[in-house]
This record gives sequence, C-alpha cells and structure tokens, in this order.
Amino acid sequence: MNSEGPGGARNESQDNGPREDQLDESTHRLHPAAMLIGALKTARQWVGVLVLPGGALLVNQGFSVRTIFLIIAGLIVVAALAAVWGFLSWRATSYVVSGGAFHLRQGVIQKSERTIPLDHVQSVDTVQGVVQRIFGVVEVRVETAGGGTNEPDASLSALSRAAAGTLRREIETSRHKPTDADGEESGPSVVRRLTTRDLLIAGATSGQIGIAVSLVAVVSQFFDDLFSNEFVERVVTTFAPRSVTAVLLLVVVAGLFAWLLAIGGTVLAHAGFTLARDGDYLYIRRGLLERREATIPLSRIQAVRVVEGILRQPFGLAALRVESAGYGEDAGVSTILFPLLPRQEVEGFLRAAAPEFAGEPSLERLPRRALRRYVFRAMLATIPLVFVVSAIAVIGLFSGFTAPGCGDAGCAAEDFSWLAFEIPAALLLVALLVFAALYGWLQYRDAGWAISDSRLFARSRLLSRATAIAPRRRLQSRSIVSSPFQRRLRLATLQARVASGGGGAEVRIVDLDAPAAGTLADRLGPDPAP
Amino acid sequence: MKDEPSERLDPRARTLWRIVGALNALPLLAAGAAGSWALLMFVDVSFFFGVLPALVAVALLLLMVVVAPTLRWRRWRYEIREDEVDLQRGILWIARTLVPLARIQHVDTRSGPLQRRFGLATVVFYTAAGANQIPELSAPVAARVRDRIAELTKDGLDV
Repeated sequence: MNSEGPGGARNESQDNGPREDQLDESTHRLHPAAMLIGALKTARQWVGVLVLPGGALLVNQGFSVRTIFLIIAGLIVVAALAAVWGFLSWRATSYVVSGGAFHLRQGVIQKSERTIPLDHVQSVDTVQGVVQRIFGVVEVRVETAGGGTNEPDASLSALSRAAAGTLRREIETSRHKPTDADGEESGPSVVRRLTTRDLLIAGATSGQIGIAVSLVAVVSQFFDDLFSNEFVERVVTTFAPRSVTAVLLLVVVAGLFAWLLAIGGTVLAHAGFTLARDGDYLYIRRGLLERREATIPLSRIQAVRVVEGILRQPFGLAALRVESAGYGEDAGVSTILFPLLPRQEVEGFLRAAAPEFAGEPSLERLPRRALRRYVFRAMLATIPLVFVVSAIAVIGLFSGFTAPGCGDAGCAAEDFSWLAFEIPAALLLVALLVFAALYGWLQYRDAGWAISDSRLFARSRLLSRATAIAPRRRLQSRSIVSSPFQRRLRLATLQARVASGGGGAEVRIVDLDAPAAGTLADRLGPDPAP
Repeated sequence: MKDEPSERLDPRARTLWRIVGALNALPLLAAGAAGSWALLMFVDVSFFFGVLPALVAVALLLLMVVVAPTLRWRRWRYEIREDEVDLQRGILWIARTLVPLARIQHVDTRSGPLQRRFGLATVVFYTAAGANQIPELSAPVAARVRDRIAELTKDGLDV
C-alpha cells in the first residue's frame, strides 16, 4: 500500500524494534472510524477507475433498465468491497512507540512495518477533515526531517483526541531530556490568538485577490457560455446605457466578488489561528472546517520572514512566515507562523515565540548608484507591456481604426482622427514607464540589510515588503554574483541559502557595494572576521 | 573577502566542453542551414540575407566551441579551506560561492561516459539547501577532493 521512498529516516527492519510477540503488549489500533475513512478512500479510487467504462456503457446502451441495474450493482459491489477492505486495513494497522522509535505496521496483503527513530521525527501534526470531525477524531501525521514531499512519512487516519495527545506526548517526551517528562506539567502556553476582527482584516488585505480574480474570470467565462449573447446584452443595456460604463461596472462587481472570495479563503484556512509555545516547540492550530494542528520545533526554524503586503503596509500590518527544514507544508516551502499582526508588535511576538529571530536593528541602505539599476530593472520588466501597447497603437494607426467618438461616417476633422487614438496610447506608455520607475525607486528605498547578534537581516520588496531574518549558523551557503553591468558600477548581489522544505530558500540582497558584499559574505561565514 | 580560490579544473575540461558545445550546437547549425536554404530557395531575398541564418549559427557554434570553454575554464576556480569550500565560476555573471564544511551532508563523485573517456569526474556536495559541484577534475583529484571534504565534514555537523 505504501510506496517506499528513499528516505534515510526510515528503515523497515530495525533490530532494536519490538519483537513480534511483544508487539501486542502496548500496540494501539486506530479509532474504528478509520474503517469508514479507509473505505471511502478506496471507494473513491475505484469509482474513479470505473467512471470511464461506466460512461462508455451508458453511451453505448442508452438509459435502459439493464444498464441502470448494472451500474447500481457495480456501485453496490464497489461499496461492499470498499467496506471489507476498510475493515481489513483497519485490522492490519497498528502502531506503537517503543525502543526509541515509532513503529507503524500496515498493509492487508503486502505487510509493512515502518520504523521511524524518534530523533528523526520532525513534527507530529494533526489534521481534522470533515469526516474526521463527524466522528470527533483526528488524523495524525508524523513527519521526518528531509521528508520534504507532500506525502507524510507516516499517517494515522483516525485517532481519538486522547490517543493523539498520548502519542504526541510519547514521541515528544522521549525526544526531550527525560528529566522534564515529569516536571511541572505546564503544557503549551498561548503566544497569540488571531481575533475575528484580525481574521477578516487578514482576508481583506491578503494578496490572494489576484488568484480570486482569475477564478472569477473562469467563472464569468462559464457564464458567458451558459447565457445567450442577447440575454447578456439585454442585461448590460438595461443596467448601463453606455458599454464603457457596463464594462466598468462588471469589473467592479467581479473585483468585489473576488475580494469576498479572498476573505472567504482566509477565513477557511486561518479561523481560530492560535500559536502556542511549549519549551522548544511551537504549536499552530487553525482552520474553520478542516482543523489543522502543526508542530514546529524551534530548532528546525531556519529563517523568519516578516511580510508586509502592499495592502497591509499602509496600515502597519504584517504576516510572519517561517522557513523550516524538512517541513514543507502543503506544496509550499514556507509556513505561516502568524497571519496578521501589527508591525510594531512583531519584535515582541518573536521574542515570545522564537527569540532567536527577535530584533529590529536599523538597516544599512544600498549605495546611491544602485538606484539606477533598480529603476532600470523595473522599467525593463515593462518591455512586454510597452511592446503590446505600441503594437496596438501602430495597428490602430495603419488600419485606419477610427478613434472613439468618431462614427463610421468619419469625424469632422478626418485628418487628425488618429491623434485621438495615438495620444491616449502615448500617455499610457508614459504612465507605465513612470509607474515602473517609481516602483524601482521604492524597491531601492526599501532594500536594506544588517548583521546583528550573528543574524542576517535582509529587507527587499517584490510587491510586498519582506524582511528575512536568518541566523548565521543556519546559512547553508553564501554566493556573491555580479553581472558585467554590476561590475561596471562596483555592485554585486549577495545570495544566502537556508534549508527549507525539500530544496532550500534564498535570501538575496541585490546591488550591494561590491567590497561590502565580500565583507558581508566573510562575516556570515563560520569564522567571522573580527 | 579572501583572494580568489587557488585550484583550477583539469585542463582537459576545455576539450571536453568543446566537444559538448559542438554536440549542443549541432541542432542550431542544422536549423541555420535549413533556414538559409529555405530563404534562398523559396523567398526572393538578396544572397547576403539568405546566408544570414547560417552565418549566425556558425558564429554561435564558434562561440560555444572556441570562446566559451576557454573563458569558462579560466574563470573556474575552487579551494577547500579548513572551514569552507570556495568556488568561483561564470563567464559574464561571475559567482563566488562559499559553503561551510559544517553544512555539507554528503559528497559524491560522478562521471558520465564522455567524462570517463577523458578520465574526468565531477564532485557534488550536498547541503540541506541544495547541491553544489566542482566539475571536470581528473578522476584521482576528484577522489582526493571528495575524501578531503568528507574528512573535514566529519567533525562539526550541527544542523
């Protein structure tokens, strides 16, 4: 059942594991709800397989009683087999923590026993899907360092809350020094909880509007296909006498819809976001329908990013992300540490949650001569747009496209009609370039760096302004890269890599003074110059 | 910043890169020739314009076979210091990379069929944030570099 990845953390047959006979002593089974979850999963796969032949049958035979009977019979067989399979795989699955390792046995036909040494356990996360919520159980995922992929290293589909808590304690206490196993039973203390107000603000200011807009575009395309053209036209003409107004109206409505969608997405993902800390572990709990609980060991955090989105920066708000080794949640390489908090409270928050990253040193700016490279680069990025606008303008010019406001009969001032088209195009180009230049200037102004207490602080802007904080001992490599243009201006780019998820993440400072970049790279090395 | 790294790649690397460059340029050359042929046969253009695609392809070939390997080899340097691996490479974009030995998780040497004919090998070393490599060392040197990195890495892996 399990594809065996090439993970170093797991060895199928480890010697210090429990013997066959001992295994029954303290092994645990999953909650019986696992049967249903397993059955549903299997049924879903089989239905997926059967859809094609079933569809073909329907098309061939039409809706006769026989085909419908066949299909219903097929579904019943699938359901029955899935139920049996769910039961068998529940019976075959058991786990135990013993001998300094987590053992998971599973597999109905192909039996497998997975052993994960507790030292290698990266995190014990719980996820509660909708089915799990109905039964009041949780899915527990055990991840190891270097797991990296989407698939957790071991997943227990249904445990009661109590069993999940016991398992987590068993894994974590044996990872701690044995002394604090029975010290003060303090438990995690909440560092910060996201209020409903902040949750809504986070949704309203999230940059996910872009994603939502494209979603709306797809939906509107769908509606285009659904409704006839006349209908749409009638609606549009009744609502707006002029087509320009109608288009504007549509854009506004679509934007509003996208915005609501973005808020909804944030609420779903981050409702009740709570960050708690217990010694060397951070616990994140979040989610409206699907409740997720995640553990991040402080020792695994490689870098923290303070991200001030364009919509958030004006209100002095920021989100916090962490780059964490072997812990790439979802497909991403970084995880949200906290979705929204005031910029001024970031330092205090970090001091409570992850003190290694707390600090607010004043940043060094880039040399003045870097400004023109920033502006130039920003303007370079607009080239495709400039190209498109000019192409439209040229086509308009040569095809004798009449300017808006000129009828088919032609304008009164026929000779100058093209001006009415060219001037807006030219203005648009100028506006585009000015905007790009301003953006480049903003990027230059926001770029900065500092080294404080053996940590690298690097701030840069890519739409949102982000400050990366990475301790020197977490840097996997430093590179200084310079293009011919940069060398002419004695500038260079510093790239520092930290581990994150499967691959790694990069902290960049573009267009540093070249000698300063060299010194910086040395100071971030294992043996810093005094 | 310390002086540039002291060691160079094996001189045979240039020959190897020329061969690889030529192989990579073959499709380009074919496309250029086909373009010229098509222009001269089917389109009414002057002879100069007609041979332009072929000329460009030949120029690129020369660049890839003659110029780039020399420049690349001249730039490529490495050094294994007691605490870091120091790399320098790049023709136009020059990159200098420092990898602390304490961060290196494991080291490989590998060599492709063409490399083996020249007795060359590549040393690849992995950190938690990806791999770096020193290409085209003579096989014994590569083995020595690999063992030395492994030796130095043994004490002080702390991530």
